Amino acid sequence: MRLPEQLNERIDRSRPVRFFFAGRVVEGFEGDTIGSALFASGQRVFSRSFKYHRRRGLLCCSGGCPNCMMRVDGVPNVRVCTEPVREGAHVHAQNVLGSLEHDLLAAVDHFGGPFTPVGFYYRTMIRPRSLWPLYERFLRNVAGLGRLDKHAGRTRRFDTEHRRTEVLVIGGGRSGREAARSAAAAGRQVVLVDERGAPADGAFEVLAPARAIGIYEGGLVPVDAGNVLYRFRAERIVVATGALEQPLLFPGNDLVGVHLPGAVRRLVDEWSIKPGERAVIVSADERGLAVADKLERAGTSVVERIDLRSAPPRQLAARGSRGRLRSVVVDGREIECDLLVMSGGRQPAYSLLAQAGARVEYDAERGIFVPSDLPSNVEAVGSAAGEQEPAAVPAATFEGAEGAGRCFVCVCEDVTEKDVKRAIAEGFDSIELGKRYTTVTMGPCQGRLCHVPSIRLFARENETDEKAIGTTTARPPWAPVSLGLLAGRGHEPTKRTSIHHRHEEAGATMMWTGFWRRAHSYEHAANEALNVHRGVGVIDVSTLGKLLVQGPDAARFLELLYPNRFGDMKVGRIRYGVLGTDAGRIMDDGTIARLGEDQYYVTTTSTGADTVIEWFEWWNAVWGLDVETVNLTGALAAVNVAGPRSRELLGRLAQIDTSNEGISYLDAKETYVAGVPCLILRIGFVGELGYELHFASPYGEYLWDALLEYGADLGIRPFGLEPQRILRLEKMHILVGQDTDSESNVLEAGMPWIAKLDKEDFVGKWALEHVQERGFREQLVGFEMTDGVVPAEGGQIVLGGRPAGRVTSSRLSPQLGRAIGMAWVRPELAHEGAEIDIKVNGGFARACVRLKPFFDPEGERLRS
Amino acid sequence: MSELHFLSPDRARSEDLFAPRFASPLARVLAGTTSVLDLSQLGKIEVRGDVDAIDVEAEVVRITPRRALVLCPYEQCAELRARLPGLVIDMTGALAGLELEGEQAMRRLTDLDLEGLPAAGKVAEVPALVLRDGSRFRIFFPQEFAHYVGEVVLDVLEGIE
Ligand code: FES
Repeated sequence: MRLPEQLNERIDRSRPVRFFFAGRVVEGFEGDTIGSALFASGQRVFSRSFKYHRRRGLLCCSGGCPNCMMRVDGVPNVRVCTEPVREGAHVHAQNVLGSLEHDLLAAVDHFGGPFTPVGFYYRTMIRPRSLWPLYERFLRNVAGLGRLDKHAGRTRRFDTEHRRTEVLVIGGGRSGREAARSAAAAGRQVVLVDERGAPADGAFEVLAPARAIGIYEGGLVPVDAGNVLYRFRAERIVVATGALEQPLLFPGNDLVGVHLPGAVRRLVDEWSIKPGERAVIVSADERGLAVADKLERAGTSVVERIDLRSAPPRQLAARGSRGRLRSVVVDGREIECDLLVMSGGRQPAYSLLAQAGARVEYDAERGIFVPSDLPSNVEAVGSAAGEQEPAAVPAATFEGAEGAGRCFVCVCEDVTEKDVKRAIAEGFDSIELGKRYTTVTMGPCQGRLCHVPSIRLFARENETDEKAIGTTTARPPWAPVSLGLLAGRGHEPTKRTSIHHRHEEAGATMMWTGFWRRAHSYEHAANEALNVHRGVGVIDVSTLGKLLVQGPDAARFLELLYPNRFGDMKVGRIRYGVLGTDAGRIMDDGTIARLGEDQYYVTTTSTGADTVIEWFEWWNAVWGLDVETVNLTGALAAVNVAGPRSRELLGRLAQIDTSNEGISYLDAKETYVAGVPCLILRIGFVGELGYELHFASPYGEYLWDALLEYGADLGIRPFGLEPQRILRLEKMHILVGQDTDSESNVLEAGMPWIAKLDKEDFVGKWALEHVQERGFREQLVGFEMTDGVVPAEGGQIVLGGRPAGRVTSSRLSPQLGRAIGMAWVRPELAHEGAEIDIKVNGGFARACVRLKPFFDPEGERLRS
Repeated sequence: MSELHFLSPDRARSEDLFAPRFASPLARVLAGTTSVLDLSQLGKIEVRGDVDAIDVEAEVVRITPRRALVLCPYEQCAELRARLPGLVIDMTGALAGLELEGEQAMRRLTDLDLEGLPAAGKVAEVPALVLRDGSRFRIFFPQEFAHYVGEVVLDVLEGIE
């Protein structure tokens, strides 16, 4: 039922829109919200409350309370009073078991009182502990608002957009528009955002409906525009968020039929709906009383107007049945009505200002909190700044009457006057503590309706004033935001080598290592490892960190950074280096090749590359040496060709003498391989004769293909990270981060030759000297299982019933046919053949300590 | 001192059996698109040292007072490497690049001030260098992120259409 056409109505009566609600078809018009259309169709109950499942109606009708949240097309917690109608939408009530009218969970309202007192979740349903699974199931079922479809896919897209403007105006009311216009007239670039659909304006850009959800450091203002999150950076922010109509606290104040003035105004003016038959108005300001005219125009008879400024009653209570308002009792008089308009004055919406750093002070005369001391880039205009018509300061609560309901301080969380009193009696007398204990202001309205009333109540109960109670901290978000919007698009920064797609095409199982995608294995890790021992394999190691260190002080720089010595290296040679922290702990490892007198090429681990590069740059800045460091990680692809037949393959492709004399173990040589200029490093991480080829990334696929093609008759096969791990373990080559942790140092890790303690200085030297002085506490060793079981990595080593170490790596070596591993053990166990027990599946398994590599201990194959 | 030939893609050479093929890291993701241009094969040479002493016929983008990136046609790389002052590093293979049209797309890709370009910052969460010519933008970034950046760019463009 609609009224005849109203002057400013928003609906277009020529364009009906139909949607589904609780199985029936509801018809509204273009310009309606789902809420207004439902109200026009006779719906009065819009939700069931959070805790007590009480019926609730359109309290504010402007998106500021929790009362009209429904599930719309699968999306929970949609405030239907501001959600535009759309054809065919499916709208459902939420937080009910049954229907809005018959909600089984409403039992809590009738019987739950003693079980759900304030702070009940801190003290009930805890004992006996054994019943927790039961409690949990129950609580999970009733807790929370709305339900998500666990199987829902992505239904809409959310984007993030970064915007800059000179002036950002938040709020499209009169003051906001005036501020925007004058800034635009002064030649500034202006954007105005408005929650409601403020109309466009030629002088400045309008974003609406869009909601500023906070003001962060640096003038960052995120704006929720539905599908787009705008991240505004503005030189100047004008806050014109207006003021919030405040409710009154009296028994029965949550009944369906009790509205704030704005709700009535909107229902009549915008959607031409008659809100009720008989109305009572209780108001602290003129605005509230002014709705009388509208009501009369709509045909509602206003049977009583109570002006709190002149004659505030002592008693005010509402009575109802089935959750609906039936009458109001004022100082002993009962007045029948189905509509009660309450206005406790208007509170400046200062939250955004407080977030920006403004102070908030209580103005005792007007009974409101007013922002002051704004930061220099923020300005408040209009009612948000406290400019508004005078109003009475309402009583904290009114006296009740027989048969009136409870007096609600917070409708979001169902906190009553009694709850607040009880919390205070229990000692939660500061507003910050009381807020956390009672959860008042912590619900969906974010304090819009309950902040000031709760402070007023706290003040009265503590026999002090509002100023002494103070406000709680305002934090973003100022309005609920969907997680989808915050999350944005589901993109994840991913690094891929230039050979990546070849691995995928070959059907490799890919895995993450840091940001990198790498091939775990192609078919069978053990076979891939064996193929390296017997023929030739190739692995993509482009992920290795790669650095050029160049300049007159290059050698000095590296010698200061690493415990190793590098100045004595011949040009064209390679050395293994271990990088330490200033506390002497192992940070990374890799190879260092001397390419020229003042030029070194350094590789790092794949996952450590970024840290090492920063580390280099940082120390370079500290020491101010004459040296440049250049990150070449992505510039170069790298592959390791390894196995006894790798020489033969390289001979076919490379333009150098590949004999052992031509390029021997730990030589670095530059040459063309299949037409591509390469740096060849002859090293042996995997324990067989091998060559690491480093070359320009754009040729990754080309050279990979060439190696596979020219090595086909030699039985070449790619191998992944997992076989590489097996191979390196056979050689007892450490994996930083796997075999070492933040406590490990090179001495205890069994690499004393790395640390040249006779060097004048290097990063972490003092710490290594200290380790040497104090003696070893543990040592990194290899072990071999006697019965072939592979213990879990991280498994405990036990000696005489007490922990004596831990396993860091373990694998079955297909080449050796044995279960091998590495472990940290107590020094007394760190000798060849020592017997240790490792926890395996609840029991123990015997292992023998090994100090030399399991495979090719003398490195003959490596040097062959 | 090594001249680091292995860094420069243009030094690859076709021999009787071999014909090295330069592959752009964006090739797969941009296949079939016309809205985004692939600039990965543009010459990109980093200069460290006295940036003011650079005197070549090419686009010079200053990154810091001591660092610049010189952009040039691929064929010109060899000549520029020889002529540029200071420490000269061929970054042609290190950086992928793409060119796209439209300020709104850029606003969804980066928080850089589009009025203050060229600048270095994050694009699609990865470090990048952004240049602007009117409503067209060129973005250079580490090639290992190329496929991912390409996906994000195409997705953003799709969201705007
Ligand atoms: S009635 Fe919809 S939010 Fe208050």
